[in-house]
Amino acid sequence: MRRSLDKADLAIVGRLSRDARVSNREIAEQLGVSEGTVRGRIKRMEEEKLIRITAVTNIDRFKDAALAYIWIEVERSGQIREVAAQLAGVSELGFVGVMLGRADILAITMVRNAEHLAEFVHQRISVIKGVRGTRSTLGVNFVKHDYRMARIVS
Amino acid sequence: MINPTPSARVVPIDLDETDQAIIGLLRQDGRMPYRAIARALDVAENTVRARVRRMEESDTMRVVAVTDIEAAGYSMLLAIGVQVEGRPPEQVARELATVAEVFSVSVVVGAQDIEILVVAQDQAALNELIRDKLGAIPGVRRLTPALALDVLKNQPDWVPFHAA
Repeated sequence: MRRSLDKADLAIVGRLSRDARVSNREIAEQLGVSEGTVRGRIKRMEEEKLIRITAVTNIDRFKDAALAYIWIEVERSGQIREVAAQLAGVSELGFVGVMLGRADILAITMVRNAEHLAEFVHQRISVIKGVRGTRSTLGVNFVKHDYRMARIVS
Repeated sequence: MINPTPSARVVPIDLDETDQAIIGLLRQDGRMPYRAIARALDVAENTVRARVRRMEESDTMRVVAVTDIEAAGYSMLLAIGVQVEGRPPEQVARELATVAEVFSVSVVVGAQDIEILVVAQDQAALNELIRDKLGAIPGVRRLTPALALDVLKNQPDWVPFHAA
């Protein structure tokens, strides 16, 4: 288990969650702590993989962008971990999880359309050794994604 | 997109190579100083500042802090398929989006009408979430959940900005 963020961490993350380009000095002034404290805590939270500070782009800005859920079944249960690790290396995938129920693995990506999805699954997913079959679902409207929350892995 | 959202009505901007390169660097390290970005791309620091501001103001890019689900106190992540009846899936999706534990909502085509990603603190909280919050929303006919045993990757760089 990772440690939970304490009060001071949460105050800093709260300030960073919507605009992380704000300076350490500005955060320090707002919270009434030293600039060094802010810098040190941000560094520690990043090192412990409790937070990740990153650029996200707005999916509404891309023409023909649809979210695709790809449910994957593997040949043998013993291969799940290995197949999932290979999938995690596929750069186009934004989410890879080993699941209990519905399928062995869930992978999520962004595609242009149904044709692009079919091509992507055929060329990048089905070719992975141990993949027995896939079922894909194409999104027609991406209503919400709270980018302030994720499983931080690498 | 079926329903244009407020942010979708903002005039899109064209991104050139410099913009793309800045986004690439900020994806790796969102706190990278403007000066370091300028040096890496061999452009003026003011150019970098102006480009970042333009992309932020046009709602094209944001630099944000993402908190780990476990560090935020949640130990469970589930992908739940939602079948809808007697109500447009779009409406049900918007209502699901108002639930704090539901962090991703997509209207989809196929066996399910909506796919959502949810987090829960523990099994009791999950039970309450499914029974009292999600299951009680009008139009929700059936919830088909799958529990994530291990998340190997979770870094969607593309998200809708309007509901977050």
